[in-house]
Order: sequence, then structure tokens, then C-alpha cells
Amino acid sequence: MAPESASKKRKAVTRDSPESEEVALSDGGDDFEVALLNGIQVQSGDDMDGDSSDSLEDEKDSGEELDSDEVPPDGEDDVRDLVKENGFLREPTPEEELNGEGPAANYRIAKDANGNLRYVYNEIDPVYDSDDSDAPATTNTIGNIPLSFYDSYPHIGYDINGKKISRPAKGEALDALLDSIEIPKGWTGLTDPATGKPLELNQQELEVLKRIQMNEVPEEGYDPYPDMVEYFTSKTETMPLSAAPEPKRRFVPSKHETKRVMKIVRAIREGRISPYRLPPEEEEDDLDVKRYDIWANEAPRPDNPMNIPAPKLPPPGYEESYHPPQEYLPDKNEKKAWEEADEEDRNKEFLPTNHDSLRKVPCYARFIKEKFERCLDLYLAPRVRRSKLNIDPESLLPKLPSPEELRPFPTMCATKFLGHEGRVRSLAVAPSGHWLASGGDDGTVRVGELTTGHQVWSVQLEKGEAVNVVRWRPGTEAKVLAAATGEDVYLISPQIADLNKEVATKSREIIDAGWGYAANGAKSNTKKEPATQWVRPGSRLEGDGVLVKFSLRKTVKIISWHRRGEYFATVSPQGQTNAVAIHTLSKHLTQLPFRKLKGLAQSAQFHPSKPIFFVATQRMIRSYDLSKQELLKIIQPGARWISSFDVHPGGDNLIVGSYDKRLLWHDLELSVRPYKTLRYHKKAIRAVKFHQGGLPLFADASDDGSLQIFHGKVVEDMMENASIVPLKVLRGHQVKKELGVLDLDWHPREPWCVSAGADGTCRLWT
Amino acid sequence: MTTQMRLRGGSRDVDYASSSQVRIQLSTRDNDISLPKNPGPLLVNTNLRRYALSTLVNHLLKTEKPIPFEFLINGTFLRTTLDEYLTSRGISSEATVPLEYVRAAIPPVYKTSFMHDNWVCSVDVLSVTSPAAKWVGNARIGFNQERVISGDYDGLLRVWDMTGDVLAVSRTVREGGPVSALKSVKFISPTQIASCGMDGVIRLWEYTEDAENLTASLSPQIELCGQRRVIESIAVHQPSSRILSASGDHTVGVWSTNASEAPNPPEELRPSHRGNKRQKVQPSTTPQRGPLALLESHTAQVADTIFAPNDHTVAYSVSWDHSLKTWDLPTSTCVDTRSTTAVLFATVSMPNLSLVAVGGTAGHITLIDPRDSTTTVSAMTLRGHKNFTFSLATDPDSAYRLVSGSADGTCRVWDIRSSTTDKNGKVGASVECLQRESGKREAKVFGVCWDKDVGILSASEDKFVQINGGAKVEARIPRGH
Repeated sequence: MAPESASKKRKAVTRDSPESEEVALSDGGDDFEVALLNGIQVQSGDDMDGDSSDSLEDEKDSGEELDSDEVPPDGEDDVRDLVKENGFLREPTPEEELNGEGPAANYRIAKDANGNLRYVYNEIDPVYDSDDSDAPATTNTIGNIPLSFYDSYPHIGYDINGKKISRPAKGEALDALLDSIEIPKGWTGLTDPATGKPLELNQQELEVLKRIQMNEVPEEGYDPYPDMVEYFTSKTETMPLSAAPEPKRRFVPSKHETKRVMKIVRAIREGRISPYRLPPEEEEDDLDVKRYDIWANEAPRPDNPMNIPAPKLPPPGYEESYHPPQEYLPDKNEKKAWEEADEEDRNKEFLPTNHDSLRKVPCYARFIKEKFERCLDLYLAPRVRRSKLNIDPESLLPKLPSPEELRPFPTMCATKFLGHEGRVRSLAVAPSGHWLASGGDDGTVRVGELTTGHQVWSVQLEKGEAVNVVRWRPGTEAKVLAAATGEDVYLISPQIADLNKEVATKSREIIDAGWGYAANGAKSNTKKEPATQWVRPGSRLEGDGVLVKFSLRKTVKIISWHRRGEYFATVSPQGQTNAVAIHTLSKHLTQLPFRKLKGLAQSAQFHPSKPIFFVATQRMIRSYDLSKQELLKIIQPGARWISSFDVHPGGDNLIVGSYDKRLLWHDLELSVRPYKTLRYHKKAIRAVKFHQGGLPLFADASDDGSLQIFHGKVVEDMMENASIVPLKVLRGHQVKKELGVLDLDWHPREPWCVSAGADGTCRLWT
Repeated sequence: MTTQMRLRGGSRDVDYASSSQVRIQLSTRDNDISLPKNPGPLLVNTNLRRYALSTLVNHLLKTEKPIPFEFLINGTFLRTTLDEYLTSRGISSEATVPLEYVRAAIPPVYKTSFMHDNWVCSVDVLSVTSPAAKWVGNARIGFNQERVISGDYDGLLRVWDMTGDVLAVSRTVREGGPVSALKSVKFISPTQIASCGMDGVIRLWEYTEDAENLTASLSPQIELCGQRRVIESIAVHQPSSRILSASGDHTVGVWSTNASEAPNPPEELRPSHRGNKRQKVQPSTTPQRGPLALLESHTAQVADTIFAPNDHTVAYSVSWDHSLKTWDLPTSTCVDTRSTTAVLFATVSMPNLSLVAVGGTAGHITLIDPRDSTTTVSAMTLRGHKNFTFSLATDPDSAYRLVSGSADGTCRVWDIRSSTTDKNGKVGASVECLQRESGKREAKVFGVCWDKDVGILSASEDKFVQINGGAKVEARIPRGH
């Protein structure tokens, strides 16, 4: 399709505005712009999106044929095709048809007088489609009728020759573009409805419009606020013109008026005139207007869930009466109680009141308030219908196995261990699983039979100083107990009758192995003074099996053994630089590995399989590599004050108990933040412990006097998270002075748990 | 037919219009009281109680002296009239009711208590019908001449007569005696006692009484040592002079009571005396012997062991590793292992039923058929205890009854004929529950012993040995004289 044809077509349809088009074509200097115009033009002519591809094809050709003035023979057809497609032209006129063949029969050949060939051109017929610019401008001849009558036709009227005036292209795209290139003066972007042409306004008209827009009087020079010309003076005279007194008729009722009024009154009484005229029935049967009763066939609809029917109020009773019977009237006390009660607490909203007659009933005092509240209700009511999530929240939770399936776990108190006076601060089950060691406020360390609760051995370490912690050395070949009271740490080989010669000797050997080393170590290590001296505790204690004693600078609260039983760590939270000490049993050597520790040390523990050491301060747990001597990880449980922690026997998980009632599970591989937070206790958690014997159990002990048992299964698969199920709350310990359960421990193999209570008992839970 | 007429005649005042009749089928498991010929279903009134039915059975048995019977219907004892029973269970009176009759057991009543200074662990009795006397054969133990021995946590072995007097006490610590708690004491014969305890040594004592029974003495005979930890329990068999011990070092020890038969003990395991200066006394002069064999298969501390009642070459042991093991003693091999779900503390064999009862931390007693052919672990469970079961003993009178001592402070008597079946299999409930007469709540019962003549003896945390006996024992008194 050549641009010519397109422009021709455009000319055909927008003959009324040839000027603007000329401008556009002349301005479109380069190929691309013209091509672009063509595309747009075609589109505007068709009003069809489907032709956009055609227009793109046109762009290719446009470059070659732009310059040729010649009208291609099929140009007219093309236009016609387009017109046909749009259903514009149903029947081409014969003239057009003739004209379509025009190029062939444009001239005839005749012979002039000399016998030469002579081209005699046909006279140019200034037809509708003619290029002739001399043709008179067509004007619509339809007369003074609305143009909307032609809305359904492709043309908008007829010219002086009776030819159809085609509807000008709306020209959204082209005209918008053209107008954006150069907006003619007076351009409004509107279409004159009378002519269909773009509406142009001159400066004066625009001024008028502007004034109308500003809500001013359109007329120029109109003053809306002229100076007031006073008709009467507004000034009050100080001296009145007349000093005559007020006439009597001003304040005596007029007899004449009374007569007239009485006349009307009589007429009303006698019914001659009616005071109110009934309003005339406005309903007039207008036959032209059809009316329908839209509610005629209304069927009751099912209740909408959003529709809340107004509550059906009971009919008023006697007490709501203005003059209720005596028995409904409140007496003084009831009245007082009602008045003193909070408005929301009153069981009825009103007080039955007696009035002698209806006219003595005062106005409703709460009227304004009630209206206000009603308005408030309406105002605050949600305007948007909120779609409720119709999901059972339970179904979103992961499926936890029921505790019944997770047996065995401790469920009941089997044995109570009595004997301690005051609190039991710490306890530990021996690695053999047969003995329970406990230490308490009375300064004694006691060992009892686990299943029966019979105390078989006890020793008083220091009078008046509580035993803060007792811990058995791991390993069954010897029975060594470490206990701390105050600043002193003792190593004990308890003389239980069960310990025959072999075990007793072995235990003694293990404890006493380091005597030589201590002296040698001190000599070789002359640089530093040894942190402490390991000594014999004195003959009284030695006779009872307490073999070694050493003192640290501050109160020792935690003892934690390495799994091989060679090292143990002590924590004394008050000791600033030497809060954490690691002791070598076979050398009787004490080391202070942390010269600087941020925060108060709370607890420390060895990793169950790797040379890693965990130290808990108030808020963080740091793990150190002991072989490389470097900080590995800082675990942030987010607790305000960590009370205790324990490492899972697998080594990758950690539970942390805090004084702010939280139990936190950490997956060390996952994050330094807790994987799960369990907040079930009412008071601070004192101790947490994993079962070390292969059962997926852990427990915590709290100041609210209860222990909680959890199932905590760690899966080998790294992709799967640990499953934690709360199993059982063990209650039984009494809370004394805000303290409940102070320590707990697990049996090394069985699902048994022991707890130390502030009430002076230890309990075995099975 | 005559029976029915008789019964009707015997209860003439019963209003027949209101009562209906039901068919019963009588049966029993005891051969000596079984009916000579099966009478078939009998038609009886539904308003009969136990007594009338007992009269009926006595009549059928043609006994000279009436034997009191009790009746079991579907595993529960009949305590009301038949009518009420049938109504409460919703059984139609049209159906034939299977009625099992058993000898009535007189509920054991509290007789006496022996007070100790410390918790009592173990108790045993010597009477005419006790095994120790039976083994000897010619023991002459008169009425009220039974002896009770007890071992407590002070390590003292006491011999009591039935009036509650201590005839003899083993040496105390101050006198150089062993110091540790006694876990188990047993009569081997009327003159020999075995004890074991926390020090891992079994001691054999010679017990002698002079003719007037005024004085008695206990003198140590042999110390059997070789186990490394506490010995929780021993079993004795006098005819083969064998002792079994269950030890905390995971082994079951086999020992001989003959000093000549046993080897010398390993030197390092001889009982040591503490390095305490108080204890620096002369080493004991008692001969020491080692074990014949140590049976190793358990993976945790062994808690109890017994001889199979009919075959002294077979032993059973229970352990903290949850298992019951059957041992063949001549070859010292473990023949069979049955695993349960909880730590086991006690076992007893019920020979006539070829069952072994085991009790432990589970809160119920499990009956296990230890024979090879059985596939299920548990034949029946007895439920009722609220805490650990520390000891078990069988009724010498009945093959179906046993008593258990528990940490919940009760002894319960069980009749395994009285059972119901639920989803966990057969479940029995206790027929008697013996409380502690000392009044101490939840005083753990560590040891029980059931003797035909004396009754049920139980040793407990409340420092008493309590004796509960059936009235039958008293009923025998005139005949004994």
C-alpha cells in the first residue's frame, strides 16, 4: 500500500481540513516519520486493531514510493477495500467507477489540423474524490438538525452537490500527534457538534469561558459589589423626632383581632372550616409512564451470613412502666447499689421509677447519649465486608505425634529422697545409674540409692556453706564425685558399701594421680603463679572419702565434666577474669583460659564429641575450639538472662533455659538464633537437661515447682528439623520462698528423671 | 432333679414369683475338689448368693465337713446374688452361666509387726511348710516355733520368734561385722542362713538354738565373694547346695554352700574393710570362697534371680535391662531371653501354670510363659500398683495366687483366675490390698514372703516386718495341739 493511497484516502475523508494535513505531510520530512504517520493514518481510518500489521508492512514500501507522484492504478481499489472492510461503502456510485478507470481513458487521441497526433485531455471533473483544490469547499446542507441523527451512518450530511459528506476521521491518533506538534491558535481539542470540525475559539470567547470557570459573571467589567447607596440612613438619631409616649393599643390586646379570632374558632368548632386541609393526593395516574411493582413477586431469600437480624426484644414489663407496682420499685439499698455500680456492670439499664401521672414523666435523660452512641456505632462499624479466612487454624499447625506414641517418658513420682535440711541445690545420677548424689543448703553431700531412696552415705563439707553443685565423673570404672561449696571445690570418692576394694582403689588412684604433677608443674611454669593449689582437705573429711580440695576466688556455681573424665570446668559467675576455670584431674592443674569474658559467665560445658567448649554468659553462648584456641561461634538465644544450657549428645543442638521463663532450642547448624522457643513456665527456668542415654527426651525445671518433659528428636538428615513435642508436666515439688525446682538430671539409660527441690526433697520421676 | 428340689425346699420363704432361674455349669481347676461326675447344667434360682452355691457344691461333692467355696463368673468373683450379677453384666438368664468354684481364701488379717531400727529390706520364714524345712525333712518345728529372719539397711540380720522377740542378731559394725545394707536373707536349712547385701558378699551363717530356746546364736560360716557390685537378691537350693545371686555387676553368680566344693575367691575381690581408722580391725577369720560360675549375659544390673521350682538346674533372672533370662546352670548358658518394656526388680515362678511373674518399674506385674514354644512375651498383666513392684511371692496354698510388695506402700494379693480381657490381653486385678499397719503412707515394701503357716510377711520402709495371716492359720491351731 503506497503512502499516496493512504493519504488520498485520508484526504477523501477529511476534506474539510486539508490544510492541517498538508502541514503534517510537509513537516514529515524524513521517511521514518512519514512511515509512522502512514501507520497511524491507516489505523485511524480503519479503527481496527487488526490492521496494524498491514501498516507495518507499509512502512517497508514507503521508502521507495514516497517520491512518485503518480497515482498507482490500484490505489483506489485499496481504499475501497479498506472502506469495504469497514462496511462504509455499500455501493460505489457509477461516477466513482468511471473515475476509477480514469487513468486509462483520461484522454483521447485526435488529429490536429496538421495531421499530427493530438492528445485531447478530458475536462477535469471536479468530483468528490478529485484532487482539484479549486473545488468549492463543501458545506453541509442538512440544515438545522442535530448531527446525532447521522450517528448511525458513515456520512454526516450532504454537500451542495448532493454528495455525502463523509464523517471525518475522529483522528485520535493522528490529530493528537499533529496537535501535539503544533497547536493552532484557539485550539480546544473539542469537536463542534454542529459541524463535526474541531472547535476553535478566539481570544474573546476564551476570556468568557475563563470567567465562567472562575464563577464570575461572564460580562466584562461587571462589578458584583458596587458601593451601597443608602436609601435610609443607617445612623441612629440620638434625639427621636417624636417624644410621644407609646400608644395604648401597642400593649392592649386588640378587641378587633379577638373578634376575628373567635369568629374563626367558632367556625372551626362548628365545622364550617377545617383547620388543616388534607394534602391533595399527589398520585396522578400518568398513563404515559409505565409502572412496575418490583416487590410484587418478592420471594423470601435465605439468610445471608452477613445479615444479622435485629434481636427480638421482649415486650416491656411492669418495671418499665412509669407507674410500676410497689414490688417492682427498688428500695434504698438497691437504688444505691445501682447508682454506684459501673455502667457496664448494671444488670438493667434503668431504675424503675414511680411517677404519679404520665405527664409528670420527665424527658428521657439518656436520649442524647444513646443517640450519640448509636451514631458512634454506625460510624465505627466496618464498611468493608471482611472475608473471614475459613481455615481451621489447627490444620495449619504441623502434625505433632501424640504423647502416648512417644512413650516411655517419666510420668509419676516414684521415690522421694528426704534428708536434706533446707534446699537441695544440685543433684546428679551416677553413671552406673544406681546412685543419686545431692548437695544442699545444709552443706552436706548425700548419696542415696536411686530406686529405694535410701541414703547410704553423706558428708558435711563446710558448716553453714551451701553445696552449690555436685557432679559425678563420667565413666563407670570409678566413682568420683566433684562438689563445690562456696569457693571450694572437692573431689570425693564416696564410701558406698557397694564400692568394693577394686572400685574404691581405682577412684582413689584417679583422684590422687596428680600429686606429683602439681609440684612439678609449679616449678616448670615459673612465669605464672598457679591459679590454685590442690590440697588434702583435712583428716576429718579425708576419712569420709573427701580426697582433694582446692579453692577458687569466687563462689563456684557450675561444675561440668569432660566426657572422658580427665577435665572438668568450673564456673564462678562473680569471678571477673577467672570466672571459668578448666581443671586437669590427672595433673591437679587449674587453668584460667579466658582472661577476658564479656558479661557474667553463667555456665560452661564441653562438647560431647569434639574439642569444643561452650561458655554461656548472661545473653550469649560462645563456643570455642579448644585445639585451635579460637572462638567458633556466638549463639544468641535472645534471652535476657541465661540460667543454664545443655548440649545434645549429638552435639549439634543446644537447649537454653533462661530466667525470663523461656526454653530455647538451638540448632547450631541452622542459625545462631533459636530454632524454637518454648514458653510454658510461669516462672524462671533453673535447669535444662538432655537425656544422655539415647532417648529423645529433654526436661526443664522451673521456679514454679514443676518440671516439663519434652520429646526432642534430632534427625540425622540435615534437611529435617528437630521435632519437639511437649510431653508431661511433673508437679509435686513445693514452692518455698519463690523457689521451686533447682536442678534436674536424667538417668543415664532409663527414661527416669530426678529433680532437686527447694522444699528439701529430691524426687525420682519414672 | 433332687438338687433342685432340695434347694427349693431349703429356701422356701423366697418369693418364687419374683425370682427367675438360670442354668449354671460348674467347673473347677483344682483336681481334688472337682466333681466326680459332670452334673451338666443345673437350674438354680437367680437370687442365690455365694453361700447357697457353696452349699450346693459341697452337697454335690458329698464332703463331710463343708469347704467354703468362692465362685468366678467370666473371671470375676461373685460378690452379689446371681440375679444382680447377671443384670449388671447384661447377661440373659436364658444363657448357661459358666461358674468356676475355687476354695475360698480367707482375707489375710493383720497379726503382728516386728520393729527394726532402719528400713527392712528382706524377710524370710522358717516353718514346717517352708522350703528350708521341707528340704531337710526331719525338721521338727512345733506350733509357734516358726522363725522369721529379716535383713535391714543397717546390715543386721535378725532372727525373730513369733512373739516378736529377737533371738539372735548378727554382729554390728562396732563388733566388726559387715557394714552394708542387707538386700536379701534366706533360710537354707533350719540351721543355716544366707544373706547378701550391698558389699557384694554372700554370707552363710550357722544358726543354733539351745534346747530351751532361751538363747540362740549366729556365727558366720563362709563368705562368698567374687561379684563386684551390690548383690540384690539370692536364691538358695539346699538339696543341690547351690546359691544363685543377682548382682549389680551384670552377672548372675552360682555358688556352692559347701566350702570344700567352692574355689578360692580372686584376691582383689575379697571384701575390704574401709580405710577408716575405726574400721582398722583384724581381718575376718571367716573362710572365703569364690563363685562356681558367673553367668554373663545381662547388659545391666541383675535385680532378682530364682531357681525354677521343678528343676534346680534351670534358673531365671530379671535385670534392669528389661529382660527375663532363662539359664541352664550346668552349662552356664543363657537359654532364653524375654524382653519387657521396663526395668524389672522381682520375679517369681508359678510352677503349675508354667508362668513366671515379673515386676518392676512398669507399675504392673507381667506373667511370662518362659517356655520356648510361646511367642508372646506377656501372658497376662496384673494391674493395680501405683508404683514400682519390689518383690513377689507365691501362695503356698494355691497355684493361682501370688502377693506383691510395691513402692506405693501396699501388698496386693492377686488371683490370676480372676481376669478380664481387654485390648492389651488378659488383665487381672488384685483381690486383696494389704495396707501398712504402721500408718506411714507410701512406705515402700521391699520384701514379701508367703508362708503357709505364718501368712504374708512384708518388710518395708516403715521399719516394720508386718505379718498378715489368714484366719485359717488360727483355725488350725486346735488341731495342731
